[in-house]
Amino acid sequence: MTLFEIFDPKAAPRPIGIDLGTTNSLVAYVSNERPVAVADCDQQVLVPSVVTYLPSGDVVVGRRAAGLAAEYPRDTIASAKRFMGRGADDEETARLGPYEFVSPEAGGENVIRFRVAGGRVVTPVEVSAEILRTLKAQAEDELRHVGGAVITVPAYFDDAQRQATKDAARLAGLEVLRLLNEPTAAALAYGLEKNRSGTFAVYDLGGGTFDVTVLVLDSGVFQVRSTGGDSQLGGDDMDRAIAEEILRALGFDRARQTPLLVRMVLDEARKAKHALTEAESVEAEVSGQAPVVITRARFDELIQPLLNRTGVACRRALRDAGLAPGKIDGVILVGGATRVPAVRRYVAEVFQKEPLADIDPDQVVALGAAVQADLLAGEGRSDDVLLLDVIPLSLGIEVGGGVVDRILPRNSTIPSAARSTYTTQEDRQTGFQIHVLQGEREMVADNRSLAHFTLHGIPPMPAGMARLEVTFRVDADGLLHVHAKELTTGIEQTVSVKPSYGLDDASVERMLVDALDHGENDLGKRQMAEACVEARRILRATAKALAGDSDLLEEGERARIERACEQLEKTTNGNSAAAIRSQIEALDNATKAFAGRRMNRAIALAIEGTRVEVVEERVKHAKGAAEAGPELARSVD
Amino acid sequence: MDPFSTLGISPKFDIDLAAAERAHRELSRALHPDRYMAASASERRAALARAIEVNEAWRVVRDPIRRAEALLTLLGVSVDDASTRGELPAEFLGQMLELREALAEARASRNLGVVRSMAVDVEARARSSEQELASGFANGQAAHLLGALAELRFYGRFLDEVGAIEDDLVT
Repeated sequence: MTLFEIFDPKAAPRPIGIDLGTTNSLVAYVSNERPVAVADCDQQVLVPSVVTYLPSGDVVVGRRAAGLAAEYPRDTIASAKRFMGRGADDEETARLGPYEFVSPEAGGENVIRFRVAGGRVVTPVEVSAEILRTLKAQAEDELRHVGGAVITVPAYFDDAQRQATKDAARLAGLEVLRLLNEPTAAALAYGLEKNRSGTFAVYDLGGGTFDVTVLVLDSGVFQVRSTGGDSQLGGDDMDRAIAEEILRALGFDRARQTPLLVRMVLDEARKAKHALTEAESVEAEVSGQAPVVITRARFDELIQPLLNRTGVACRRALRDAGLAPGKIDGVILVGGATRVPAVRRYVAEVFQKEPLADIDPDQVVALGAAVQADLLAGEGRSDDVLLLDVIPLSLGIEVGGGVVDRILPRNSTIPSAARSTYTTQEDRQTGFQIHVLQGEREMVADNRSLAHFTLHGIPPMPAGMARLEVTFRVDADGLLHVHAKELTTGIEQTVSVKPSYGLDDASVERMLVDALDHGENDLGKRQMAEACVEARRILRATAKALAGDSDLLEEGERARIERACEQLEKTTNGNSAAAIRSQIEALDNATKAFAGRRMNRAIALAIEGTRVEVVEERVKHAKGAAEAGPELARSVD
Repeated sequence: MDPFSTLGISPKFDIDLAAAERAHRELSRALHPDRYMAASASERRAALARAIEVNEAWRVVRDPIRRAEALLTLLGVSVDDASTRGELPAEFLGQMLELREALAEARASRNLGVVRSMAVDVEARARSSEQELASGFANGQAAHLLGALAELRFYGRFLDEVGAIEDDLVT
């Protein structure tokens, strides 16, 4: 008997996981507790991250766009991810590639812009949004109703790159449940699949980024110990190394390299790289030119400098995790570039362990993202799995002498916050210039600038009298929020952080409105629907809390909360999103104290839990069974 | 904030890191934002504030320098840079200056081997400072430990610099 699926218009939205890759992207979801990737009508799972802007104004995404690259080399944007969150003068724009960049206007946003067909100008965020839209549509074909999305980013992405990714999702009309680090997603896919525990390293060499993450998997908790990498190093660089070799062999200098030629040579280089996984040597042929022979030995030699760069990051991550290379229980390979035999050999050498590759390295990240999306969106489901991730780079601010004062060190578990206090250098100084930086170096110039802002309105005081407290908060998406306060006067200003690289909110709004004008949605309807979903979620959560911890309620509290619930319920039948929002806030106020008491109970129970575990551990020790105990203790050091 | 009480462990330098990590893990299980995706806003905020506190406590406790600072602060001893720097003997400062110069030289001559062997040496020194701190705190001589703390900070900065140099030399 065949069971037909019947389209149910009220079917619950299904959460999805998206791997927005440099070379390929894909979307996955959880079906019957297992993650599966969504295939298109040709049964293809991978969507090439390529977008072509045609002279007709049409936009083509994926495999067809990749096919148009030779015809429209300048209008076909591949590897947009490499340009996300980067400034217009970034060195990335100077590398071998067929694009035409637009110089930024003076005083305008410092972002990369491509000039494509018909004089149209697009940002990497808009290109990525096109890819996300395609993936969303692909998922909708299979699931009908798509809910929130977990979108993966390289662990080593900095704040501007993460923000750009979130902007792209917003433009594509996706609700972002979470930005998830790619290696952590991969570990999640492996951990659940294999039900393993131990210490793992994830070596993720994607098209354009390299990440290494060391994490401990224990009792369902994935705790990232350290992460490192290079957000501008990947399989593309291998293609470039081969392409440069071909161009050299054919005698083309920079002046004679047209966009079309570069595109063709890069394609040929990629094919050669793939072929060299099996073959000992290949002939690369660029039309009209003599074939160029590339042996695997020569290829290995060309990519050795790239591998060495990954090695530095691996050793650093191990050191940060407090582990010797031999102490890793397993190495997980992620990213198509890890198919290269020389990469596998190198990884085995660095970690002194043969790497695991039993899940397709091209799919493992999306599968893990789908698992996380399911965990996040599934209310009250699966309490036993949790990801504890970290920030990849230290965060700090500029202090006197062009030196960086680190406020949050790298590998701090998120969500996280830290504050530091500063004073004025000059008499009668009435403002503080705050320069936010990301990186590990001592001097400002060697780090990445994230934002500049000024705290105004400090009354004139002698130098050294004012006390400025700067607080950094990093949320679970790895995004930074900065807050500044002058302590002697209590002046606390809302400071707007203008990103050094990236689009400001107004630009994203404008793009969003543009996208909506081009058809699809009605903004007001969308806002109302979103507010209703939010209200129902909160009502369910409140009912559950009232039922579960009724003994924590004070006299009259239940009545107050229930009244607020009723009022919120009423607004969801109306047609004002603003009314719903204000009732949500009222309910929020009514439950504030109760929420605090519930939290205290959760903490007491958790601490109680560890005490029990410690006792069990001691008993095991006494029996001489827990060999891992002292080892672990040393390793955290 | 007392990071030790946040994690529910006893305040000492020579802690059982595995137990502290376990406490952090169980508290995270109870408080992490992922657990409150479906909760009301007030609960999400309350959980977030506590989760941040727990992560901050773990950050302090797992790092020997921050751990020593937290213990001294609990004992009412000031640990800012100015008060610890005075505790360093001139001889130590001289040695550090030489080490820094040697490091700069190794960097200039791009000698990765020398850089790495200096790192091994400084790591060993850091271990012995940590031992000094452990026994000092255990014997209740906390006030005399500012020197060891200042040394440890020096070593920490030195090793950070080594990391940056390694990056430079390989890329």
